[in-house]
Amino acid sequence: MSLNAKELIEAMPINFDETQDTSQQSLDKLLSSLSKMPVPVSRLTRMWALGSMQAKVAIAYFAYWMRSGFVSGDDKQRLLNETHLKAAFKLLGGMSYLRGAIMKVGQVIASTPNVAPQEFVEVLGRLQFEAPSMHFSLLREFVHGELHHDPEELFDDFETTAFAAASLGQVHRATLKGLDEKVAIKIQYPNISRTIHEDFKNLKAATFPMRLTRDWDNIQAQFEEICDMLGQETDYEQEAENLRAARLLFTEDEGIIVPQVYPELSTKRILTMSYFDGLHLDEFLTTNPSQALRDEFGRKIVRSSFRIGFRGKMLYGDPHPGNYYFMPDGRLGLIDFGCCRHYNDAEMDYMDSVEQAYLTSREAVYEAIIRATDLTSTDASRQDHMRLGVEYADWVWEPVQQDGPFDFANQEYFTRGVAIFSELIKKRYTRSKPINTWLTRNVYGIRAILARLGACIDFGEIYREEARVTKPKK
Amino acid sequence: MRITAKAKIETRQRILVAARKLFSDKGFAGTTTRDIAVEASIATGTLFNYFPGKEQLALAIIDISLESAHSEFLTSQRENESLEEALFSHIAIMLRHLRPHRGYLGDVVETTLSPFNQSSDDDASANLRARHLETVQSLIEGHATPASPQPSAVIMHLYWTLFLGVLAYWAKDESPNQEDTLVLMDHALRLFVSSLDINLNTLEPNRSS
Ligand SMILES: Nc1ncnc2c1ncn2[C@@H]1O[C@H](COP(=O)(O)OP(=O)(O)O)[C@@H](O)[C@H]1O
Ligand SMILES: [Mg+2]
Repeated sequence: MSLNAKELIEAMPINFDETQDTSQQSLDKLLSSLSKMPVPVSRLTRMWALGSMQAKVAIAYFAYWMRSGFVSGDDKQRLLNETHLKAAFKLLGGMSYLRGAIMKVGQVIASTPNVAPQEFVEVLGRLQFEAPSMHFSLLREFVHGELHHDPEELFDDFETTAFAAASLGQVHRATLKGLDEKVAIKIQYPNISRTIHEDFKNLKAATFPMRLTRDWDNIQAQFEEICDMLGQETDYEQEAENLRAARLLFTEDEGIIVPQVYPELSTKRILTMSYFDGLHLDEFLTTNPSQALRDEFGRKIVRSSFRIGFRGKMLYGDPHPGNYYFMPDGRLGLIDFGCCRHYNDAEMDYMDSVEQAYLTSREAVYEAIIRATDLTSTDASRQDHMRLGVEYADWVWEPVQQDGPFDFANQEYFTRGVAIFSELIKKRYTRSKPINTWLTRNVYGIRAILARLGACIDFGEIYREEARVTKPKK
Repeated sequence: MRITAKAKIETRQRILVAARKLFSDKGFAGTTTRDIAVEASIATGTLFNYFPGKEQLALAIIDISLESAHSEFLTSQRENESLEEALFSHIAIMLRHLRPHRGYLGDVVETTLSPFNQSSDDDASANLRARHLETVQSLIEGHATPASPQPSAVIMHLYWTLFLGVLAYWAKDESPNQEDTLVLMDHALRLFVSSLDINLNTLEPNRSS
């Protein structure tokens, strides 16, 4: 099923009665006019990237998501909500950078509903913030401001043209001065991080007065969580810290590599790290890799994610194909630790308890799900919510519980997962612990990659090996 | 007593050094011509033989920096630079050379370089403007296709206004490493370069002849 903004907007569950139609239409109009903003100059396109498919999808998701908060309330409250929501979208229209951020939100939410796996992987791979591109003259001044020297003085063979775009800037290749070490230098567009922080403040201020459903607090908590995460991504020192921590988690013979950071050549806005000369997933697949090789990479992907989680107590927040490198020598390269969630003790305990529940009994599983969703209400939807919650959890745990290899190439499995999630979203059973937003994203992201890779691997075995590192079986 | 040309140059130099020091120590507004004369160990009257006032003195200092920026720019141009990029480095190099004067540059822009100050009878600022625009014009021509129209006077005026805007902004830019100025330059030059494609000749009054 292909997905575009129009279909998505149309598919949005409309919960208003007839009288609500006009404001509903005007909101749609506002949304579609946002996506049709004129683009004056070609270079500016990147700043006004609303015309792009990704942006449309992302904005529609955002609208969808915000709207999922509308359930009931009296007319006056509804009107007030509409007004605030409109104001928020207007504001959004004026924020060139935040549109990028919203796309990231789109990326998060896109890790879930209604999209066929293949497209899901492709669209996700392309989604990016779109910072304006920098020519070398601009970049040189920025680097000079940050590191007090010109790029040519700091590096050998600094390539003046970027080889890749980053969410907040671009990535250049160079060689360390007098050494043989190739590096990737990720450089932010000047002032973009300050702008994003400002934009978030404004957006929060605009959505804050909204009083939507009984679940609104929960939705807002999740929104805050996403804002925090995006805010974190603007700080490359934080990312450098995550990279350092992640690097320590792997030994040489495991064949999983994380770039080394060069702190004297890095700042909050510039990140210099070793360069990985490998293939992205799609490129790798065009080389017709053998099943054995696919499985080998699949195992490394799974191992890396569990290792980072259980021993590193971090959640690799951005498990999309662009962040994995398939090295010619068979090693797996992991990049992009900008979006890393650090578990607190309560969250580690929570995850332990879910695992324990699966080892114990169905009753325990039900209880775990009640805790996960903070399902304390006793209304009629509770039964159904529970049923779906269990279905979802079972789906997540299926590969762990299976004896022997699990075939991720089996499309049925992934499609079923997407269907469960779509239903959760459609029925607005979105109430959940904030950590679950990221866990879900991680689970779907990694399994989508495994599906695309066509890996058939003993998932449960890797899980048990990695989980055991932190918690010996009781 | 005849003052030799050499002595004259030396005195001028002494005044400039003194002014430079005081402007950066006490600011432009906080410095009087008297202070400068004292610092340079000359009579205040003598100072006026060299410079009509404080503004012209500041301008002369800035002019020296811009002169060396200009020669650096000529040797630093890279191949395959886009026009936007070349114009950007032209300004960027100037800002690097003007850095020691950033504290009082705003005052100078306001008093002597302002577009509202075109009637000023001293030609130091006119010269500075002409020299700058000459470089810009030749950069534009260097990037022109045979079909491109000659940049009109209106276009050049637009450029100068943007440039002064950048200078004034930079002088007061409180952002880390003046990064906001870089963004302003990026935007201003995109705007300027894209306006070159529009045939502004039709806006020129003397074209109707
Ligand atoms: N260490 C590296 N080696 C090789 N390529 C890299 C490296 N780091 C980044 N890249 C390239 O730059 C792109 C963007 O980097 P990434 O860290 O994902 O940026 P962000 O998440 O901030 O947008 C990557 O998809 C990749 O193509
Ligand atoms: Mg990335």
